[in-house]
Amino acid sequence: MSFARKLNSLLLPFSILSWLGLLACALLYAHPTLFGQAVALPGWLLLLLQAIFTTAVFLQERVVSDRLRGLDFIGLLRRLVLGPGLLATACVGLHLLQQLIRQNLANTSSLAFTAIYTVNVGLFVVLLARTTYVWRSLVLFRSSARLRKLWNWFEVLLGVTLLLRLFTWSPPFGLGTALLGVLAAFGAYISSHQKWVAYLSRRQKLEAVLLQLAVILSMAVFVFYFLHTSQGPQLLAPGTQHDFLILNAFSASFFAIMGLLVTFFNLPTAGVFEQKREEILSLQRLTQLIQRGQNAEEVYRMFFDSAIQTVEADAAWLELDSTEDEYVGQHYHIAPEQALAIRHLLTDYNLGHIEYLNNDLPNSSGFRNLELPFGSLIVMPLRSSKRQYGSLYMLKSSTQGFDRENQSILQTFASQTVLSIENLQLVQASLDTQRVQDELKIASAVQDSLIPKNLPIDNWFEISSHALAATEVGGDFYDFLHLPGRRLAVLIGDVSGKGVTAAFHVAQMKGIFHALMQENPLARNEREKFPVPSKFMAQANNALARCLEKAAFITASLYIIDYEHGGFVFARAGHCHTLYYHSIKEEVSYFRTAGLGLGIIRHDGYEKYIKNQFYDYNPGDVMVIYTDGIVEARGADQEEYGEERLQQMLERTYYLDADQIKEQILADLNEFSRGQPMHDDQTLLVIKFKASQPEPSL
Amino acid sequence: MKITQQSTENTLTLSLDGELDASSSVVLDTELNKAEILDNQKVLIDCRRLNYISSAGLGVFISHLQRFQDAGVKLVFFNMQEKVHNVFEILGLDSLMTIVPSEAEATAI
Repeated sequence: MSFARKLNSLLLPFSILSWLGLLACALLYAHPTLFGQAVALPGWLLLLLQAIFTTAVFLQERVVSDRLRGLDFIGLLRRLVLGPGLLATACVGLHLLQQLIRQNLANTSSLAFTAIYTVNVGLFVVLLARTTYVWRSLVLFRSSARLRKLWNWFEVLLGVTLLLRLFTWSPPFGLGTALLGVLAAFGAYISSHQKWVAYLSRRQKLEAVLLQLAVILSMAVFVFYFLHTSQGPQLLAPGTQHDFLILNAFSASFFAIMGLLVTFFNLPTAGVFEQKREEILSLQRLTQLIQRGQNAEEVYRMFFDSAIQTVEADAAWLELDSTEDEYVGQHYHIAPEQALAIRHLLTDYNLGHIEYLNNDLPNSSGFRNLELPFGSLIVMPLRSSKRQYGSLYMLKSSTQGFDRENQSILQTFASQTVLSIENLQLVQASLDTQRVQDELKIASAVQDSLIPKNLPIDNWFEISSHALAATEVGGDFYDFLHLPGRRLAVLIGDVSGKGVTAAFHVAQMKGIFHALMQENPLARNEREKFPVPSKFMAQANNALARCLEKAAFITASLYIIDYEHGGFVFARAGHCHTLYYHSIKEEVSYFRTAGLGLGIIRHDGYEKYIKNQFYDYNPGDVMVIYTDGIVEARGADQEEYGEERLQQMLERTYYLDADQIKEQILADLNEFSRGQPMHDDQTLLVIKFKASQPEPSL
Repeated sequence: MKITQQSTENTLTLSLDGELDASSSVVLDTELNKAEILDNQKVLIDCRRLNYISSAGLGVFISHLQRFQDAGVKLVFFNMQEKVHNVFEILGLDSLMTIVPSEAEATAI
C-alpha cells in the first residue's frame, strides 16, 4: 500500500520529466543542427516519449481520489471548465503569439513554433486526462460494481487502441476497424449511465448543459489547432502524433456529448424531479420537527408552509377545531371573511371536514356567487382515528389546478402532521404523569412519616405492627397515644377509597385523634378527663361530617387499654371485628359488637349506633386488630382470606410472641394470596398481654 | 357488573349482577341519581347475584340513603349473599338499611 502511494507521488515529477524530454526531442527533431552538429533523431523516440508522458499524466489523474464532493456535480463540471477553459485560452494565445513571432522574427520562428507546439501537446494531454476522469466520476456515480469493472476494461481497451494508433501499427484483416467499433459500442453503453443528471434541479441542468458545451468547445479549440498545424507548412512532428491526439480528443468528448444529450433531454423533467425533491425535503423537515419536540403551533405552521410551497397554492388557510391550543390557524393570500364564506358554502353542501377536491369551481353556482378569483379547491382534513384536528383549504386561480399527486402528497403531509401533534401530546401526557408520580412520592413520604415508628414499650404487653399500602398512598391508619395513669389509646382505621383523597382523610383522622385525646381541664372526675371510645367516635363523626365527601366514610376502632387495672374499653365504628384469644377459656373468638362507620349518618343521632365494650384481660391474652385488606385479600380462585382463616391462625399461634404471631399470620396470608394483585392496603396489629408484671426496679 | 331494572306500579327493582367495585359503582350511582327514581314508593335491590361489594359500592348506597329517606322512598335489599351481608353488618349498615331475606318480604314491606 505504502509502495503504491510512493509510486503515485513519483508520477508528477515523472510526467514533468517526460514532457521536458519530449520538448528537447521535439526541438532536436525540428532543428537537427540546434547544437551545432546535426543529430538525426528517429521519429519513434519522439512518439515513445509522448506515449510515456501521456501514460504518466493519465495515471496521475487516475489515482486522484473521487473528485465528486457529495452531490456537487456542477462544482465538478465548473472546475473542469475552469481548467480546460483556461488551457484552451492559453493555447489560442500561444498560437496567436506564434503567428506574431513568425511575421516579425523569421529566424527564431521555427524554434518558437516547436516549443509552443510541445507546450500545447502537454496542455492537451492534461485536459484529456482530466476530462476522462471527471467523466469517470460522473458515470460511476452510485454505480454497480459491475459497471466499475466494465469501466476498467474500457480504459485498458482505450489505452491499447491509442498506443497502437501512435505507433502506426494497424492490425491485419480490418481488425483495427472492428476494435474501434467495439470501443465505440462499449463507450456508448458505459456513457449511457448518467444517474447524476436526475439529481440536478432545473437551473442546475441548464448550467450543466452550458458547462458541457464549454468543455466540448475547448476540446474543439485544441482539435482545430492540431488539425491546422498538421496541415500547416511547418509540420515539425511525425504525422501519427496528430492522429493520436485527435482520436484521443474524440473519445474524451464522446462522454461530454453523451452527458450533454442526456442532460438536455432531461431538461423538461427537471420540474417533476424538483417537485419530488421538494416534497421529500418538506416531509423531512416535518419529521425533524417531531424529533425536536417543538410545540403544536410550530408543527401546524410548518405543515401550512410546506403544503403551500409544495402544491404551489395561490391561497390557503388552515382551520383548527380545538380551542385548547392557542394557535387557531392562519391565512395565506386570502381574507378571513372570504375563507369563512367558502367554509359556509362547503358546510351548506355538507362537505365540511371531509377530503374534497374541486378543480372546476366556476362551474358551481354557489361559488360563482362569492365572486372570488379561484378555479380549484382542495380540502384536506387533519384527523386521526381518534379525533379531528382541523382542515387545510388550498386554492388555485386556475381550474384543474390540483392533480392526484398533489392530493396524495397532502394526505401524507396531513398524516405526518397529525402524527407529530399526537406525539407531542403523548410527550406532554407523560410529563404530566411524571409530575403526578413525583407528587405522589412526596405524599407517600409524608404519609409514611405519620405512621408511628416507635411502638409503645412497656413490660405489661407486646405490640407488633405491619402496614402495607396497595398504592403510593394508602387509606389505612393506626396510631398510639400514651394517656396519664398508665393507659394507652390505640386507634386503627380505614378510609373508603384510595389515593390522595383517602390519604388526606387519614391525616385528618390522626389530627382528630390527637386533638380529642387531650385531657379535658373541665372534667369533674377522672372518668371524664378523656372521652370514652363511643364519645370519641361521636365527636369524630361530627368533625368529619362537614368535610367528608358524600359517598366517603371511615371505619375505625379505638381501644383504651388500662394496664394498671388490667382492662380495656373499645368501640368499633364499622371497623373489622377484633379477634381475641382468651387465655382463661383457651379460646379464640371475635368481639362481635355493633357499630356504625364514621360519616355514614351526619347528625347527632350517630352516638346511639356506637357501643362501648369493656373487658378485663388476663395475662397471655392476645388481641389481633386489622383492616379489611387482610380478610378481603383474594386467593387464586378469588376466594377471600376471611375471618375464619384468621381465627384459625391465632388458634395455632397464640402462645408465641406478638412478633412471631404477626409473622405467622402474614406468612399464611402471603401463601394464600400468592400471585394475586393486592387490592387494598393491609394493616395488622398484634397486642399480647404479658404473663406477669415484674416488680418495678425502683 | 350488570344492572337490570324492573318497574311495577310504585316499585322499582334493580337487580345487581357481578361485583360492585369502584368502576361499576359509578354506573349504579348514575342510576340512583335519576330524579324520577324518587317517584317510586319503594326501590328494591336484588342482591342475589351480587358477589362482592367494595367500599365505593357501599358509599353509593350511603350517599343516597338520606335522599331516599327525605323523599319517603323505601330502600330495601333482599336475597343478599352471606359474605355481602357480612360487609353491611360490619359497617353497621344493617341497622340503617332494610335488609330482608326474600323478595316476598321485600314487596310486603
